[in-house]
Amino acid sequence: MTDTFVDACRLGQALAGELVIDAHAHMGPWHNFHIPHNSARGMVERLDQLGIDACVSSPHVAIGPCYREGNRQVMAAADEYPERIIPYVTINPNYPEAETREEIEHWHSFARIKAFKIHPACHSYKVDGPGYGLMFEYAREHSVPVLSHSWAGDSQAGATLLSRMAGEMPNVTFIVGHAASSWSMIDEACGEAQGKDNVVLDLTGSQLLYMALEKMVERVGAAKILFGSDIPFIDPAPGLGRILMARLSDDDKRQILGLTTKRVFGL
Amino acid sequence: MAELRFFDCNTRIGRCSTPRPEHFLDAAGLLAEMDCAGIERALVHHAWSVEWDPHEGNQALLRDIADEERLHPCFAALPSATRELPSPRDFARQVRQAHGAVRLFPTQHSYTLDDVSVGHFLDALSFERVPVLIDIGQTNWRDISQVLARHPALNLIVLNTYYRVDRNLYPLWDRFGNLHLDCGSYGVHRGIEAVCQRFGAERLLFGTDLPIHEVGGPMALVTYAAISDDDKQLIAGGNLRRVLGVSD
Ligand SMILES: [Zn+2]
Repeated sequence: MTDTFVDACRLGQALAGELVIDAHAHMGPWHNFHIPHNSARGMVERLDQLGIDACVSSPHVAIGPCYREGNRQVMAAADEYPERIIPYVTINPNYPEAETREEIEHWHSFARIKAFKIHPACHSYKVDGPGYGLMFEYAREHSVPVLSHSWAGDSQAGATLLSRMAGEMPNVTFIVGHAASSWSMIDEACGEAQGKDNVVLDLTGSQLLYMALEKMVERVGAAKILFGSDIPFIDPAPGLGRILMARLSDDDKRQILGLTTKRVFGL
Repeated sequence: MAELRFFDCNTRIGRCSTPRPEHFLDAAGLLAEMDCAGIERALVHHAWSVEWDPHEGNQALLRDIADEERLHPCFAALPSATRELPSPRDFARQVRQAHGAVRLFPTQHSYTLDDVSVGHFLDALSFERVPVLIDIGQTNWRDISQVLARHPALNLIVLNTYYRVDRNLYPLWDRFGNLHLDCGSYGVHRGIEAVCQRFGAERLLFGTDLPIHEVGGPMALVTYAAISDDDKQLIAGGNLRRVLGVSD
């Protein structure tokens, strides 16, 4: 192990020559608290400061009141910052199936569906309910990965439920959101991800538990773990710093920082 | 950027009620972690002072860090009326002489931050220029606002706030220069940059919450902030050295 990653963090230097992708991003303001510089431009400036090549984004409005407005926002941002902002298509299962179909067909016609994002907690809807049916149908047909918000004790989209669904859809990769957010979540998510190729774990969260990442790598391997931050809901520096400073090999850090995401998203 | 001199305002040692196998429990473990991460000094409290008894915990802390120049004591305190600790004036003087600080746990230890309970005590700490730390989970912003208003010379450091706090924090910062924030969990998007621009870097202190949380996150928040190197040095350790009266 060299000190390249550790030194970068201690000195606040953007990593050079390493692929870094933030697989769990949002965009814009949010009702619950103040977020400075939350525009696409403010986010890209932050990515530059940290040496993050790209982020995969679902605007806050999409996981909140209007997924269609959110999908339009992120496509516009991706047009403005190609290769830097990669769009999720977000679905809200509470709206009529005809509307979901129209939304999916619309973005499909522009070949812009790279990944889906769902937030069963914010939308208060169980992940295996019929409102997500069309989306999963599309995901199976086109092998599109799905990032789902998840939490310990989450009745809408717990890791165990997501993993069961992954067993039914072998060509859809399920990204379990916030898989490191508590020790009980880590235990559940790692247990579920073991031995399932299409279940990977997202590190997004504000609880950076001591030695948690090292334990996760020990249990499931770095190829099943990916860097996500929630930018700009949360600043990406802490999530990045945790990986850079971890007691892991450089190769494990490279997997987590970008290679797992590159593989899962087919970038 | 020159290497930053980190002084961690938020660490713990001591056997606790719910350890995890990976947690270190003693000063040697904390120092090893600090060496590994590049942290020069730390302000440390003892788990016994929280979970058993402030007096016993404070004594255990003094024993455990007696020979460790890099570790500064953070003592638990109580309202003086029950006389479980030395008188406010003696206590405050002892803490100052040890270049230490005081940490309050009003929820855990069952008292209020009202001046009737802790007013004399906070006056004594102000007089001796002893900083007071408090976890936001042990209190609320309304009580913090009252303490700041009644004790304008008290250096108050609020810990473990996380990122949904600006709407509570900014109004207080508009009025109170003596309010400080442990920014280890302050994961507001470009939040440190925004605070430095609007209020100045003097308000923020580096803290990790070791051994419960890890170092890389809090460290990266400082090193990667879009602020001047001088401001980074203040947040990394300069501000804590100043409020503790540590000369170098
Ligand atoms: Zn999120």
